[in-house]
Amino acid sequence: MEESGEFVIPASPQEVWDALQKPDILKECIDGCEEMTITDDGVFACVVAIKVGPVKARFTGTVSIVEPNPPHSYFLDVSARGGGAGFGSGRAEVKLQEVAEGTCLTYHVKGTIGGKLAQIGTRLFQSFSRKMTRTFFDRFSHRWMG
Amino acid sequence: MYTFNFRRASSLEDAQQIHQSSSDAVYVAGGMTLIPSLKLRLANPDDVVDLSQIDGLGAISSADGAVSVGAMARHCEVAATTDIPALAALANRIGDGQVRNRGTIGGSLANNDPAADYPAAVLGLGATIHTNSRTIAGDDFFVDLFETALGDGEIITRVDFPIPKRAAYAKFANQASKYAVVGVMVAETDSGVRVGVTGAGACAFRLTSFEDALSANMSASALDGIDVDSSDFNSDLHASAAYRGSLVTVMAKQAVEQLTA
Repeated sequence: MEESGEFVIPASPQEVWDALQKPDILKECIDGCEEMTITDDGVFACVVAIKVGPVKARFTGTVSIVEPNPPHSYFLDVSARGGGAGFGSGRAEVKLQEVAEGTCLTYHVKGTIGGKLAQIGTRLFQSFSRKMTRTFFDRFSHRWMG
Repeated sequence: MYTFNFRRASSLEDAQQIHQSSSDAVYVAGGMTLIPSLKLRLANPDDVVDLSQIDGLGAISSADGAVSVGAMARHCEVAATTDIPALAALANRIGDGQVRNRGTIGGSLANNDPAADYPAAVLGLGATIHTNSRTIAGDDFFVDLFETALGDGEIITRVDFPIPKRAAYAKFANQASKYAVVGVMVAETDSGVRVGVTGAGACAFRLTSFEDALSANMSASALDGIDVDSSDFNSDLHASAAYRGSLVTVMAKQAVEQLTA
């Protein structure tokens, strides 16, 4: 599946870039994120508890930054496992562009999910991933607002 | 299924108290979504709190121009009511016979599945949702995907539907599950024309552009040429967002035709 979108953040590309590298900021912005650490150079390890309606699952995942071009663009390679619930992996391309209001961040994600969640959850996956993304950028943008 | 404690609540206070004292509890009403999730091990609560033995929670009554439906009323019981034929017809098309015999209105609304039928009725008919602690306007109840205005541990007790002058519900159902790919409730109420849409977006919503057009002219042709913004609509293997956008108009027209027939 594929998904893209854009958000405008009221901060400079350099500020956005720096904040996106900080585990504690990422943890704060990802809904349900319980742990976020850097294990290696540019590799994040995280634990995220996901709740969608009746479904509750805890995912452990790694996120690696690939081809960083600060403060303009990078790729994120994501892989996650949720025990019996399923697994997912994907690559996101993230671009930062300076605009009058701050920074316009555009993303394009290509990914797959498998396991039980994929069998029963495909009708919900897109709405759910949009909701997670929206929450992330709402919280992230909020850092620079009153 | 993982092991859990099955706790049967004897009253609303009892249910809430069990919920509060547990580190991870869920309420079960009809269990039409929760039980399959437990069986698939997609949920793993410590305590399952059964609401089925609480007195009076399933009563249905009519008074003062409204139908009051208890939260534990099953779909088949709502389908057998006569005061709001559109509501009864909607309930009669939820899932299959087994689901209608077990599933409840309160469970469906608290779960807020984006493809559930009842949310279209709550918005389209301008219902009011009562809980064990307060009253919530239907328009404020549905927040986002599986997200409602209910607080942690809050329990829906009943739903009051004002009896409309006329109303109709049309849905394009998934052939296997009978979930609404798109469902539209159109109603002419004392407070004007209301249009509630389910299945299309992350949760049910009102379509004010249709309401305005139908207020001026209650006919299917009044909806011609009104653009439905489908950019945020659901897209899955059953239907693309654009197809759902098109279905919103088609279902609304069918509802209007039923209502004016």
